[in-house]
Order: sequence, then C-alpha cells, then structure tokens
Amino acid sequence: MYSRGVRKLNVMANNFKTIKYGRQYNLALWVYAAMFYFFLYGPLLMLVFLSFNKSEIVGFPFEGFSIKWYHVVFESPELIRALANSIGVGVLSAVIATTLALSLSMAFRHDFWGKSLVLYLILVPIIIPGIIGGIVLLIFFGFSEIRPSLWTTVLVAHVNWVLPFAFLTLYPRLHGFDRALEEAAMDLGAKPWVIFSRIVFPLIRPGIIATALFSFSLSFDEFVRTIFVTGFQRTIPVQFWGLIVDELAPQLPAMAVIIILISILTSLIGFIYMRRKVN
Amino acid sequence: MSSRDVSVEVQGVSKSFGSVIALNSVSLDIFKGEFFSLLGPSGCGKTTLLRMIGGFEVPDDGSILIEGSDTSGLPPYERSTNMIFQHLALFPHMNVWDNVAFGLKMKGIEAGIIGDKVTKALQLVRLEDYGSRKIDQLSGGQRQRVAMSRALINDPTVLLLDEPLGALDLQLRLSMQDELRRLHKSLSNTFIFVTHDQGEAMAMSDRIAVMDQGEILQVGTPEEIYDKPKTRFVANFVGHTNVFDGEVSNVGNDGDFEINCSGLVFMGVGEMKVVKGQRVSVALRYEAINLSKPDNEVKGASCLGVVREKMYLGGMFRFETVTKEGLTLTADIQQEEQSKLIKEGDKIQLFWEPESLAVLLE
Repeated sequence: MYSRGVRKLNVMANNFKTIKYGRQYNLALWVYAAMFYFFLYGPLLMLVFLSFNKSEIVGFPFEGFSIKWYHVVFESPELIRALANSIGVGVLSAVIATTLALSLSMAFRHDFWGKSLVLYLILVPIIIPGIIGGIVLLIFFGFSEIRPSLWTTVLVAHVNWVLPFAFLTLYPRLHGFDRALEEAAMDLGAKPWVIFSRIVFPLIRPGIIATALFSFSLSFDEFVRTIFVTGFQRTIPVQFWGLIVDELAPQLPAMAVIIILISILTSLIGFIYMRRKVN
Repeated sequence: MSSRDVSVEVQGVSKSFGSVIALNSVSLDIFKGEFFSLLGPSGCGKTTLLRMIGGFEVPDDGSILIEGSDTSGLPPYERSTNMIFQHLALFPHMNVWDNVAFGLKMKGIEAGIIGDKVTKALQLVRLEDYGSRKIDQLSGGQRQRVAMSRALINDPTVLLLDEPLGALDLQLRLSMQDELRRLHKSLSNTFIFVTHDQGEAMAMSDRIAVMDQGEILQVGTPEEIYDKPKTRFVANFVGHTNVFDGEVSNVGNDGDFEINCSGLVFMGVGEMKVVKGQRVSVALRYEAINLSKPDNEVKGASCLGVVREKMYLGGMFRFETVTKEGLTLTADIQQEEQSKLIKEGDKIQLFWEPESLAVLLE
C-alpha cells in the first residue's frame, strides 16, 4: 500500500515537471513582460537621453550629444540654492521624524490606553490626499499667523508628511526586538538609559539609518504640500515647477536626472541598511 | 532543616494578569546554597514566581525577602540575583568576552579586575579560548555555558534559571545538567531552577516545589515528592502512578488502616492520620508493583488479576492488568527473565510493599 502510494506521488511529480505551456501562452507572457518594463523604465530612459540633447527645445529630434544643460543647472544660483534648501530641509526633517518615530516605537511596545487611536492619528497624513493636506496646512499657518518660510512652515509640513512612513519603517524593528535582551542587561545591572545606549540602539542602528534615509528621500521629493506653504525660499521640486510653468526650460531633463539620482541613491542605501543583519 | 539559613523567603505572594491568576498566595522558604526546583506544567506560575524573585514582575500582594531584606520596589539592576534566561538572551552584537564582562562593567569595576574575573569565569565553564568569538559562532552547548558564566560573574546570592535547557536535544541536555550540577557543587550560590520536566528536577535538585494553577502543592526532596506525593496532581505529574479513589474502611489501633477502592482493599501503614469513612485516594507507583504466578507465596499486599497488555519499554516491561475487582493496575517490571514467562491473557498475582502506597488527601 505504502509503496504504491509513493509511486503514484512520483508519477504525479514527473507529470508536473513535464507540463509544457503552449507557444501562444509563452508569447503572451513575453509581450506582457516587455510592456511592463517599457512603461516602467521607458520614460526614465528617455528623460536621461533627452538630458544630453544639444537642442534648445525639450524633445526630439536629437541634435547631438552635449552635457551643456548640466552646466546650466550647476551654474544657476537659484537651482543650487533650491538644491541646498531641499537637502537642508530633508536632513533636518529626517532627523526630527526619525527621532519622533523612535520614541513612538519605543512607546508602542507597551500597552497603553488609546494605543490604536494614537496609531491612526499618526497615520492620518498618509491617508489625506496631498492637495488637501497642503490646503489644511495653509489654513492652519494662516490662522496661526506663521509666516511661510523654509525652516518654519516647510519643515513642519515635511515632518508631518514623513513621520508616518518613518514610524512604519522603524516600528517593526523595535516590535521584533527581543525583550529578553533588555531584561538580561537590566538583570546584569544596567539602568534604562544604559540598556538603550548599549543594547537596544546598537542592535536597531541599521533600522534607524534606513528610516532616516527614507525620510530624507520622501522630504526631498515632496511637492504638493510644500507648494502651499512655501515662502521665498524654494525647494527643488517647487523651483522645478516654477521652471515648467514659466518656461519650458531646456535644462529641465538634466535637472530631473540629478534629482532622480539623489533620490535613488538615498533610497538604495536605505534598502541596504534595511536588509542588514546586526553584527 | 529549619535551622538552615534562609536565602529566599516568599511570603503570601499573589499575582494576576488580567483575569488570570498566576500566583495565589504562595509562601516558600528556599535555603542558602540549595539547588531548588520549581516544577509544574506550563502556566502553573513557576516562571512568574522566578521572575518576581529577579524583579521582573511585581507581586500584587505579599513580599519576597532575599537574605532577610525585603525586595519590594527594587528593580532588577539593584538586586543581588542573576538570571539565566529561557532563550539565554546573549547579546548578539558583543563577543563572548564582552557578554561575560557586561555585569562587571555595569558595576563600574576597574578594567584590570574585570580582565581577571572574566578569565576566571570563562575557565569555570571551560571556554577560556572563546573570548573573541561572536555568539553566532558558538554551538548550543557553548552558548549555554556563556550564559552560565555571564550570570555567575557578579557572584549572585541567588542564581535564577528559567528553563534554560528546554530547547536542547536530549544528549546536550544531559551534559548541561551535569555542568549545572558541577557548577552548583563548586559554588556556594543558591540556585532556583524552573522546569516542567520532572526527570530534570529529580536529577538536579536538593528540593522541589511542585506547582499547579498558581499554587504550591508540595515541597520536599525528590525522594519525598516521588515516594510520598500528597496530592493526586503531584502523584500523576511526577513519575507513573496508579491512582484510585476510595474510602477508609478500617482503622487499626497501631495506626494501620485499610482503604477500600471499588472492592479492592489497600493496606496503609502508619503516619497518616485518617478516620474511618474518610474519602481519600491511593497512589501506587508502576514500578512498586511486582507480578507472580497466582498460586505463589508472596510477601506484602497482593491481589489477583489478568494481564491485558504487555509492552517492552527497553530495559523493562510494562504490564497493564485488570484485577478481579475490575480496577486497572499498571506495573513496570525490570526482571526480564520472569517477565518473559508472563503473557497477555495470563492470570497473575500482583503484589507490593504496603509502605510504597501513598495516601492522597486531595
């Protein structure tokens, strides 16, 4: 009985291995995959391509290879200032959001009254559509008579936007943290602050770095909320928007490539840290 | 016994988690230098009690004294106890040396002394060459020994062990039991060991407290717990036992008595204070019962029965028998020669020493 059953199972397994899909099915699969990647990466590649176009007008035909638009970008003081503004606000909001996310995550390991309510409150900025978020902030700052500027309104808007993502990135790290390690440290004479600095922090450091990098990248790309609360100091996306609206500037593709590179690089490093095991 | 110094004194401690009662007014004295086990099934409160002694749980009621002083309100880092955790909780980002040295560093001891002490502590568990190893480069047994040396380096008055051997395979488990016993003999610290494994508790402990549903049912040496269980739970939890409900049918002048269990009369001797008509239970260990041919002359108490099932358990046979009164009595017999002659369906005589009978009051 037993051996017959095993034989039957083997036959079934062999049949499964030798199943051949029809040629048409295979073709359809290829077409699907090709389209998928074309629409995903095609526009990006075209942008990179156009950024090296000598032509004074954004678009085809391709009139020859040139890096002059990159020169234009780097020689434009407004663009450099906007880039500096974006990096500054990005770094600061990353630091603030990560710190807040860390303390929230620490608190969320305990049970307390109204915990799920607090969770929803933290996540609200994700759910609210960007344009509504922007208007809400505009009204709020208007009523509070806070003048729009980079380090007040824009920074607050960014932290507000970035925090839920930072929390969602960092919390699993702390939630999965083995509490027995903290108890062991406490048992061996470590007081709470020492437990955090010698045990908890070193072990979740990769998660903290990843969170900060994602936060930066989110802030760096933020546009919809920012445009409502911007004063005279513009961030890169706002500056960019201005260029598109005022003039279809030929240096736009080059600028876009630079922004994409910065975003991709920070996210990539973030992902590397996310995956990193402690050691 | 009572003249010995008490190391840990548990006084009427209660603890609930929500509606679940983890400990129900538990009192207990644990002596200095003793290897004491808290034995019971999962959820019986043994781990809660251990964690309370370590300062990780706060009693709702009652208090715990260590070396005579009340520990109420003391956090773990201000107690003279150290714990070996269930999954060891070694610090994964530190090497062996730093793990072991952690306790001393926290006490602010100067570097030179730490060096000497760590070396000694690693020697104690034979890991002196492993100081620079990462935790994930160690075998299961080596991790156990690192955890032991890390917990012992501060020379705790009480070492708390929370089922640290639970996750090990049998071989390693036995060798770690040896290691722990060896450590306990060479040191003067009190060991409190939590386990659900009665064999482990028997093998290691000076005394055992058997716990169930937040209460301590019996405290005693392994022999006392095994030979004279006081309750049905203890009898069933520790070793293999036949347990029957019955009634005291006769009490003699010399303190001997008889207990009638569904027609089968057990003789009891001495010590127990029982009165005629009292409802009690009796417990008889599997290995306390012997078998012979029905017409042989036997010593002690005996009854007649039929073998219903015979099993070989390696080194011994287990016979499930039905007495002529209809009770099922199981006997473990080690003598192979004699056992081979008895087959399923045979009529046999069961006999045992009256002293091996335990009378259970609840």
